[in-house]
Amino acid sequence: MQWAILSGIEGNLAAYEAVLKDLRQLRQSVTDLYVLGDVIGLQGNHEGDNEAVIRRLRHPETGELKPQVCVGWWEEQCFSLHGMSGIPDAPELMAAVGGNGVKALWDSVSRKSVQWLRSQHFGFHEFDCLLIHGSMAGYADELTPETSAIELCDRLIRADANHLFCGRSGRTFECWVTPTQLHSTVTTLDGPQPTQDQSKSPRRIIGVGSVGRHSGEATYTLYSSGSNQLSFRTVNYKQMQYAKTKREKAKGFGSQ
Amino acid sequence: MKLAVISCIHGNIEALDAVLADIDQQKADEIYSLGDLVGYGPYPNEVARKIRSLDIPSCQGCWDEDIVDGLNACECSYPSQLAEHRGRLAHEWTDKEIHPEVREYLATLPITLKKDNLCFVHGSPNSQHEYLLPSMDGFAALERVLSTDADVLFCGHTHVPYERKLENASLSVKVSETESGDASQQFQVPLKRIINAGSVGEPRHGRPNATYVIYDTDAAQVTLREVEYDYKKTCQAIIDRGLPPIFAWRLAQGLEFAERADDPTHVCER
Repeated sequence: MQWAILSGIEGNLAAYEAVLKDLRQLRQSVTDLYVLGDVIGLQGNHEGDNEAVIRRLRHPETGELKPQVCVGWWEEQCFSLHGMSGIPDAPELMAAVGGNGVKALWDSVSRKSVQWLRSQHFGFHEFDCLLIHGSMAGYADELTPETSAIELCDRLIRADANHLFCGRSGRTFECWVTPTQLHSTVTTLDGPQPTQDQSKSPRRIIGVGSVGRHSGEATYTLYSSGSNQLSFRTVNYKQMQYAKTKREKAKGFGSQ
Repeated sequence: MKLAVISCIHGNIEALDAVLADIDQQKADEIYSLGDLVGYGPYPNEVARKIRSLDIPSCQGCWDEDIVDGLNACECSYPSQLAEHRGRLAHEWTDKEIHPEVREYLATLPITLKKDNLCFVHGSPNSQHEYLLPSMDGFAALERVLSTDADVLFCGHTHVPYERKLENASLSVKVSETESGDASQQFQVPLKRIINAGSVGEPRHGRPNATYVIYDTDAAQVTLREVEYDYKKTCQAIIDRGLPPIFAWRLAQGLEFAERADDPTHVCER
């Protein structure tokens, strides 16, 4: 089974089409297509691109996989604008893109499409993997290789998974986290409890890249769930060419 | 210096008075409160006024937050629908009884207090609703302490006091990135502590006595205190003042009806 894991189309229809074309050209076909949020945004070249991306996701062409979509930061901003979340008026969005950006997003996604986005998943637990936009700490949680080791470890514990695929940062990376040692002692009113020495086997966090954030260059991730092999792909869609990155393969995890 | 740390008084003035008397006997230099001054108990205004009049620095607890902002957490705040129903009744009673100036005072309470290498929160640094249980994964617990830049994290919310030492932690991270290549880092942490202050007014350790902690900053020594008081008076007041009688039963047992949240670390985003 080979999964294609995408994130961050951000309304960039041309980038998404380029990635779909790249998927069709793969030697080993993809069995599952995941989109980890941020399908809408302000990266489209045309006014109707957000709606066009949503239509494309909802109605794949004959022979194409039906994408499994979860919500991301941009979708959450949309829910906030439409009064569908606990935080009204999208203050995060206003801070990020200003009034014009807020208006552009409001104008570019219909109420009906927002309702469809609202019905999408928070994330996916498949086998020993969690696929999510940010992390279990929240949709805006941006994990990167610079995130502190203890925070990465915490996110893996919260994920309850061996492989955490996330898209918030828009970067492609792989972080193996090995919690090697911890001595824990608890004392209650009943006195000291048995001490615990903790260690865990290595687990990893994978940044899956961004399809639409960077004009002209889309990145995404392929993952073979049987072998745990990972490859990051870069698609230069203006030239309609792609080049594999140097990280073709990752260490397997199954034997750990 | 001796610090007394109290939490989760929950409108129980009898218990608060008994604990304050015990703190005097222990000769504590300062008192800190970790919030939840109101909720469940029959004297929310009296408790809040006493904490305020004694200038006891206090964090805002989840019940204090709900009285200020209204009930806005999803059902994840409660371990069951029954618990949610009862909690809602207690919230509505408290919301009706609370005086405007007390509500304003609760709104001024900070989420976090800091003193030197000590940090004080109600639930966790993430949220007033998150439970730091003693059984929580050690590395996750360590992350909560480190996120505050403190050596000692005081919390409440679980209503059961404990001290947890987290020692000799080490982690390694190996990074592969397309842009900047491979890198690795080692991460080591010396001793950190989580100290749960228990509950003054709604204990859940199996006895009705009030609990709190004394912390000696010079010796880094923790003493878990259990204080007897006339809890039957509070139980009677709960019934007399029209709160759900289950809260009187719970107080007398020192139990939370054996309910446990499926995911105590879940943080509601509403």
